[in-house]
Amino acid sequence: MDTSRQFCGRTRRDFLWNTGAGFPAVALSGMLGSDFLARATRAADGTPLGNPLAPKKPQGDAKAKAVIFLFMYGGPSHMDTFDYKPKLYPLDGKTIPVKTFGRGGHKDGGRAVGPKWQFKPGGQCGKMISDLFPNLRERADDIAFIHSFHAESPIHGSAMLMMNSGRLLSGHPALGSWVNYGLGTLNENLPGFVVMLDKTGGPISGAKNWSSGYMPAAYQGTILRANGPTINDLTLHEGMTPANQRRLLDRLAEKNHEHLATRTDNSELAARLSSFELAYRMQATAPEVADFGKEDARTLAMYGIDKPRTEDFGRKCLLARRLVERGVRFIQIYSGGAHNDDNWDAHTDMVANHGKHAGNTDLPIAGLLADLKQRGMLDSTLIVWGGEFGRQPTAEYGQGSGRDHNAYGFTMWMAGGGIKGGVSVGATDELGAAAVEDRFHVKNLHATVLDRLGLDPNNLSYFFGGLDQKLVGVEPVEPIKKIMA
Amino acid sequence: MIALFILLGVGSLPADAIAAQQQALPVLEKHCFKCHGETKFRGGLSLVSKQALAKGGETGPAVNLKNPEQSILWKAIEYDGLEMPPAGKLPEKERGILRAWISAGAPLPEGKAIAKTEEHKKPSLEDAKTYWAYQPVKLVQVPQVAGKQPGNPVDAFLLAKLQAAGLGMNPRADKRALIRRVSYDLTGLPPTPEEVQTFLADSAPDAYEKLVDRLLASPAYGERWGRHWLDVVRFAETNGYERDGPKPNAYRYRDYVIRSFNADKPFDRFVKEQIAGDEIDPDDPDSLMATGFYRLGTWDDEPADRLQATFDEFDDIVATTSQAFLGMTMNCARCHDHKIDPVPQTDYYRMLAFFRDIPRFSNDRNVMSSTSQRDVTPKEKRAAYEKELEERERQKEGLTKKIEALEDVIIKRMPAEDQRASEGLDRPQVVAKLKNFWTEEEGKAVRALRQERDKITRMPTPSQELALAVNRCDPRPPVTHLLVRGNPHAQGQVVKPGFPVALGGAEPAISDAGPQDRSAGRRKVLANWLASPDNPLTARVWVNRLWQHHMGRGIVASTNDFGKFGTPPTHPELLDWLAGELVRNGWKSKPLHKLILLSDAYMMSSAANAQALAKDPNNQLYWRYPMRRLEAEEVRDSILMVSGKLNREMYGPSVYPPIPKEVLAGQSVPGSGWPVSPPELANRRSVYVHVKRSLQLPVLAQHDQADTDTSCPVRYVTTVPSQALGMINGQFNNEQAGFLAKRLEKELPGNLPGQVKRALWLTTQREPTEAEVAGDLAYLADLNRRGLSAGEALRQLCLVDLAASEFIYLD
Repeated sequence: MDTSRQFCGRTRRDFLWNTGAGFPAVALSGMLGSDFLARATRAADGTPLGNPLAPKKPQGDAKAKAVIFLFMYGGPSHMDTFDYKPKLYPLDGKTIPVKTFGRGGHKDGGRAVGPKWQFKPGGQCGKMISDLFPNLRERADDIAFIHSFHAESPIHGSAMLMMNSGRLLSGHPALGSWVNYGLGTLNENLPGFVVMLDKTGGPISGAKNWSSGYMPAAYQGTILRANGPTINDLTLHEGMTPANQRRLLDRLAEKNHEHLATRTDNSELAARLSSFELAYRMQATAPEVADFGKEDARTLAMYGIDKPRTEDFGRKCLLARRLVERGVRFIQIYSGGAHNDDNWDAHTDMVANHGKHAGNTDLPIAGLLADLKQRGMLDSTLIVWGGEFGRQPTAEYGQGSGRDHNAYGFTMWMAGGGIKGGVSVGATDELGAAAVEDRFHVKNLHATVLDRLGLDPNNLSYFFGGLDQKLVGVEPVEPIKKIMA
Repeated sequence: MIALFILLGVGSLPADAIAAQQQALPVLEKHCFKCHGETKFRGGLSLVSKQALAKGGETGPAVNLKNPEQSILWKAIEYDGLEMPPAGKLPEKERGILRAWISAGAPLPEGKAIAKTEEHKKPSLEDAKTYWAYQPVKLVQVPQVAGKQPGNPVDAFLLAKLQAAGLGMNPRADKRALIRRVSYDLTGLPPTPEEVQTFLADSAPDAYEKLVDRLLASPAYGERWGRHWLDVVRFAETNGYERDGPKPNAYRYRDYVIRSFNADKPFDRFVKEQIAGDEIDPDDPDSLMATGFYRLGTWDDEPADRLQATFDEFDDIVATTSQAFLGMTMNCARCHDHKIDPVPQTDYYRMLAFFRDIPRFSNDRNVMSSTSQRDVTPKEKRAAYEKELEERERQKEGLTKKIEALEDVIIKRMPAEDQRASEGLDRPQVVAKLKNFWTEEEGKAVRALRQERDKITRMPTPSQELALAVNRCDPRPPVTHLLVRGNPHAQGQVVKPGFPVALGGAEPAISDAGPQDRSAGRRKVLANWLASPDNPLTARVWVNRLWQHHMGRGIVASTNDFGKFGTPPTHPELLDWLAGELVRNGWKSKPLHKLILLSDAYMMSSAANAQALAKDPNNQLYWRYPMRRLEAEEVRDSILMVSGKLNREMYGPSVYPPIPKEVLAGQSVPGSGWPVSPPELANRRSVYVHVKRSLQLPVLAQHDQADTDTSCPVRYVTTVPSQALGMINGQFNNEQAGFLAKRLEKELPGNLPGQVKRALWLTTQREPTEAEVAGDLAYLADLNRRGLSAGEALRQLCLVDLAASEFIYLD
């Protein structure tokens, strides 16, 4: 029979069913009103059965092909890092009226905490950056700072979900899932969405932060470690040798081929056969990515891998570059994990907390930017830096310099693929309490990321629960044009 | 253009209105027209002319002339609920101008009413009168087919369509394929080799029917079919979010579901219990446990916006209820009218109003909140513990008397004013000072007595049984408003509980709750309406799910969505006939299972056939039985069953099988909320594995276990390398392969060919071929040559057998 107009011997419509997509999950990138079959046709667009990660053409002009999201979990203070607030210094210790909303609830004022670091100009653009980031300051000309983000929740759990999936509510796919859904992977031997966690642990809500929500699990993030076994189930079980594993896979393939022989029309079975070979190759590929043996000492030093303090985060940044080189689409690295001062959640002592986390990450991140640039990869790799929210200009408690959470205004920065360097957009008020100028919602960040990858944020949709679900939600959202190159 | 408007438009207005308009227009032009102007009108709202403003947006008028401060526009610019413009709150000066303008009646130039091209064509309620799913279930005739008329009406319906397409049904599957298929479909477990052999040897004409009867009567039936229902109702045992804390006693809902299936509880009763068990039969523990239905969703214990969270929780209930029972996506009408189905936004809030007496899961972080935990102790047991509690009270009273007597002795030594105070309400303050006056001996005695009393107070209630359920409902719930664009801070018109207009839209008379009522009595009304044989959807939606899990997909493939976004039924007459059968059989499911399972359609082979493939490649007409991969729970349970480790104990608190530390590493506190069970318990069926929203068992997650944050009508079937990695490297598979090897050695000591054959029998449920056995023996010999011990070699062969497609796929 003629199978040329079908996928693996099935019709497009059937494809939807047997990928398990069923109706509730018809992959589509289309507008309301087009008929089901037309959407289904686009949905299938050649994706082989059982491989939801096959590469797809971007919808538009792609400026970047990969994303490295440096997630500063816990919420870094903007007024102590990149959002220079000269008028806040002299207010230190004074009680000031200011509307805030944090873990401590809604307040109308409090004891101001002056920024704890001095700011100095960096790069040709002269961007004022605090002494927390002496190395990053040197890269200011590569970076676009957005000072006017706001989010909907100042509570970690829901704010993390918002930053990662665009919703306060659990159950929606992460940004990395959307990217892989929209573009597929460029390297089948590696996961398309990689997550690297802090050595102290995962963030709160754990795997929900890299969940594929209502999309198939194939789009969820895979935890990769820069030290030790790289991926779960990737190392041989006790008693198994590589040679015996090969033998095992050969025997298994014999049996599976025999089973397939009388069921050749079922392409799922063929896909399953090849998935074992893919798994076999992943065992070799993933450790190879994490093997820095071929990186020279100068490169390792750029990332701070030669220094105990920066080694851990440096390894993750270098691993991220190596993953991008091998076609991984979306990499998220967490700075900070677990609870309290193991992450950027500086409720008691700004200096101790931010000093630690910035000190661990400044050099590696600057090194990553410099290394990508010298290899000509920065133009096609989008870097995102930020946390789930910022922090308040006032102290949380009677004592100490800690700041409470602040979703009214905070800073994030982007660099690389399709992003202008040396620019700053938006502003918070003079205390840094709230975004007042060119305000951007987290959704604008997501729209910018998708847009730079050649995906239309207002058109990339996934049918679920009776709705064309979009990462940015129902209302159209614009990317941040002022930072787009 | 704007200037033109100003010149033309101001003629007939009073002077102050003209001034307000002239001041406002530049502000509107600068900040609003980009999205609410002539070419773009987000939310259907344009502000460019009097006529456009008068037309309002999708959610009604933007300006409230009687009460300007209540205008949506006013609230939006003040960032009260809505936030406009989104790029930042306007400076006070400009807001002042706009407020003055709104107060002046929001005068605007004359102009055209903007044609709202951005606005979709609203679904017409006329559609509801003709759309198939909203019409009463039809009394259908079983069609006559060419040739011999099938005895089973299911076959007649299918054959009629097949014949029209020039096709027929595949021949019957072989008996081994059939027993595998039906065993998995009804119990989620493979048949044992002995069961297969018995069935193969049974040549009686009713051998298969006896098999079906046996499987339907098996308690494993409820475990398998209960799991299908748990998918639909987003069953989970934790709340999600930051702490992902437990939902204590959620297992009772799971057990209730399994018991209900095993008892073949009529589906109408099953619906009523879940929607309003507490109102219909408050003394029946099962009816109370059933209302755990409302408590299974995600719950944010620390929401940024409590009101928003409250309505998000209601949304979870409206979405789940309408999809699970009605196959309607009413959740699409939360912010605006449904885009394609005749579900106006008011319908959403009228539906929500039925649930308005349900309190939040908890009002603080306490997961044991009395709003979600209900005493379900059976009556007779309750009498016993109430007696026990009374006895305790008596003991406490006795102790209190003794304590007071001792205290009084000491108080007599205290100053007069204290003595006097001790006789009144201030006694506690006096008692607090006792320690300054008592002798060491007296102090000891008082403290000992108090400790004894405290101990009794702290004792758990004996044999009290709590269940996750609704409790402490509000008999007089607050008024329900339509929420403008779904925003809980922007209240619109008041609505009353009412049924969807597509289904008649009746607004039932519900009398106010009496002083003794523990709830508003609205859900009972909804339950009766849902479970009525006259409801066109409930029976159809349920029989469609029965069909789905036997025949590979629903007659309506989108089993949660019978609306226009869903897929039309492939066999509408069959759907109606089955729905009618359900009601005729007293809403019992087992007769329908049997009817489907005894059809030729169910029993036919899954083999391909070139002619049929060419005509109907996706088997829309059911010319063959669809092959399927085992579902996640079936994969794990089958492996455990084959290894001999499956613990068949039913019911009770959930278990926690070990999870590799690489997976736990994703948690902020690795291992938290996952107290690993001892192996014996951990090896219970997957339906008893604790469902934690943020942590899944790898073998289940890899095989597309249902996502629990929303209703899951159809599981995904993905084929990805992580499954293969789990099969060859995973801890679970490797351990179980070891157990299987040991089992083989124990059952057939020293008989290697026998062991190889037995492993194949266990995993494929058929007689192995000679070539297969020879191949496996050669493989073992090769491994031995490579220096592996006989035991390890056999273990590795078992690993192969457990990973084989034949084990994981059903014909």
